[in-house]
Amino acid sequence: MLRFLLKRILEFIPVLLIISFIVFSLVFIAGNPVALMLPEDASQEDIDRLTTALGLDQPFIVQYGKYMVGLLQGNFGESFRYNTDALPLVLERLPATLELAAASMIIAILIAIPLGVWSATRKNTSMDLIATGGAVIGKAMPNFWLGIMLILLFSVTLGWFPVSGRGTLAHLILPAITLGTGIAAEMTRLIRSSMVEILSQDYVRTAKSKGLRDFFVIYKHAFRNSLIPVVTITALQTSTLVGGALITETVFSWPGLGQLLIQAVNTRDMAIVQASVFVIATLVILMNLLADLIYRILDPRIKYS
Amino acid sequence: MGRPKRLLFVSLLLLILMLAACSSDGEVDKGSAQEGNRVLTIAMGSDIVSFDIHNHNNTSTEAVHDNMFNYLFKRDDNNGIQPELVDSFEQIDDLTVQMKLKEGVKFHNGDPLTSEDVKFTLERVATDETLKEFPNYKQIKEVEIVDDLTFKVITYEPEPSLFHRLSRLGSGMLPKKYIEEQGWDHFLSNPVGTGPYKFKEWIRDDRIVLEPFDDYYEGKVDEWDEVVFRVIPENSTRVSELLTGGVDIAVNIPPSDWDRIDKNDGTSMKKETSNRTIMLILRATEGYPTADVRVRQAIDYAIDDGSIAEHALKGGGIPTKTRVGPGNFGHNPKLYDTYNYDLEKAKALLAEAGYPDGFEMTLHSPKGRYLQDAEVTEMIAGMLSQVGIKVNIEFMEWSNFVEMRTAKKNKDAYLLGLGNSMFDGAYSVDWYRAERFEGETDYKNDEIEELLQASASNMNPEEREKQIQQIEEIAAEEVPHIQLYQETINTGVSDRIDFTPTQDEMIYVPKIKRK
Repeated sequence: MLRFLLKRILEFIPVLLIISFIVFSLVFIAGNPVALMLPEDASQEDIDRLTTALGLDQPFIVQYGKYMVGLLQGNFGESFRYNTDALPLVLERLPATLELAAASMIIAILIAIPLGVWSATRKNTSMDLIATGGAVIGKAMPNFWLGIMLILLFSVTLGWFPVSGRGTLAHLILPAITLGTGIAAEMTRLIRSSMVEILSQDYVRTAKSKGLRDFFVIYKHAFRNSLIPVVTITALQTSTLVGGALITETVFSWPGLGQLLIQAVNTRDMAIVQASVFVIATLVILMNLLADLIYRILDPRIKYS
Repeated sequence: MGRPKRLLFVSLLLLILMLAACSSDGEVDKGSAQEGNRVLTIAMGSDIVSFDIHNHNNTSTEAVHDNMFNYLFKRDDNNGIQPELVDSFEQIDDLTVQMKLKEGVKFHNGDPLTSEDVKFTLERVATDETLKEFPNYKQIKEVEIVDDLTFKVITYEPEPSLFHRLSRLGSGMLPKKYIEEQGWDHFLSNPVGTGPYKFKEWIRDDRIVLEPFDDYYEGKVDEWDEVVFRVIPENSTRVSELLTGGVDIAVNIPPSDWDRIDKNDGTSMKKETSNRTIMLILRATEGYPTADVRVRQAIDYAIDDGSIAEHALKGGGIPTKTRVGPGNFGHNPKLYDTYNYDLEKAKALLAEAGYPDGFEMTLHSPKGRYLQDAEVTEMIAGMLSQVGIKVNIEFMEWSNFVEMRTAKKNKDAYLLGLGNSMFDGAYSVDWYRAERFEGETDYKNDEIEELLQASASNMNPEEREKQIQQIEEIAAEEVPHIQLYQETINTGVSDRIDFTPTQDEMIYVPKIKRK
């Protein structure tokens, strides 16, 4: 187990290096950010001067070399917009994003597991249709729209929750529901289909024929085995949540990584973009590793050599 | 079976603990309207950039800084320039002004303001080329200290805009001793100024909190115990916060929400003319139809600025033929609140220029940068089609738009909005200087060139004003840029406070009163 972990962690290094190269190249191709940093009436002279001062007139290989040297020292460079080191700025946002991701995931799990199991046991009934149909709608609803509707209903009309910002548990609920529903929809469908498959297998039938109660069969025998694909999707979705919650974060002005990244892209703040992508990539890898470990717990037959 | 189950249970428990730990480190929100009346909350569209007053060009950043830093001079309600930190001043010669600071001005850390601080502040921005405000202060050669409170500001050339420069953020006074002892990084996370409010907290992309400064030189301003600037980028969220009483002021409200705010109990819209003018910049480069002055005039005559202001902007715009609006030095009232519109004349001009059946042109436009920019561009295309000009609109995301401009890849025309933070018309008319836009708009007028040259160092304000006005008149006739309208600032305000937006888009808290 320990050797497996160590090996996986060593595998991260080339992956992260490749990612950093791709991100750096993309940002380089995206162009010179100086004109965006200066006001509309800046002269060409001002633009040239700042470009030189920031070293942006140097060839790709020189800029990339400098970037890599910094990176090896744990330094992602300085944000043009904020004039401060990029990595601390990104890490500062991580708690807010993780908080939102975890809350959304809990909401998704709370909705998806009972709904998925329930509709699998009632396969092809009208209740099952309603549940799967609801999941399709949940998946199709754009986060942006859902977020604004939730604000209008629960904050403006009913006054139950604050409109935006971060702080108390009440602030967390609406954005977590916004993000959680989409994931819940996907998970519900997944749990349902894997449950349907497992319920038709021999050992479930054997258990039933031994006279065990339905509830016991479903939750003690079948459910556990249907969790493996759910773990995969949870791991993947959590990493998507970390990097992709930008629209929801913007709607609820949630000060997370997504909001920082979208602003950095708009202002071509290279160092921030690079550091954010790097941090998100690391999280994705870690989540995948976690998923592998949970597989082992769920099904001891899975071995990693 | 037992062990794995326990592991699963433990990992779930860990997840929940992680969540709990995350939630508890957030700042507890103090809603403004509900909880006492002594907290003022303002919703901005973007976060401030930093507390380095010299290294940004961002209006909402300055709107926060304005409450923490004092300038040497300040524009009054009528845009006249008045001394602020300066007690008295005297122009010694064309290059030198001697000034004396007010007595008893203190920084938030208790240090007194002296000539040393002035020298430190102004010479920093005038010499450090990497600072974004450097271009606006590089005219200053040095600050010579006479005594603790007296100093001379010396420029390289006669500098008619010096007082305009000294009434902006770049002359917000920095504490020399504090910065030298503690370092810049410490200053940037614990900024200190001389202003009525002092720094309390900044959570990036969330909020900036200020509190009153007890030793403010004009006496403590204690209308508000705390001022919170909240960052809410999404328009509809900002509106919802205002409607629910979460914030007292919400900036940049789009026209579609004006009615909602006005009809809601307890909130209303407040509008003020901004210093930003929206215009079409045309190519005068040889080979383009718009190189012909008659074609440019035809376009000007074909566009109904009044209708744009009334319909696309719901009244949120004032048609103009000049970029130098009221309140700016060199404003020409003859060219303001008026516009050309005559379809027959436009057609005649086109025929005369050799385009009786019109022609095809490309119009670049940013989308989402200015109030209703896409709608305005579409209206313009519709209006031009009436005289036979077929407009191909190219909407661009802002960063691509900026790149198109810097790469000089503009085709026939693009839509742009320009303000003037200097409130000096010289900066606006400088856009007609040929050298500056070579390969981009290629407009050149010798008379304008001469007037620009003459006004740049003219220390006689009356003469200089006339020169700037004359440039505006020539440009209004030759239309290298078709001025469309001056934008309004649209702010939603809670009825519990007394606030009127100002042309410079600052939010100066001491002027905001509880009702």
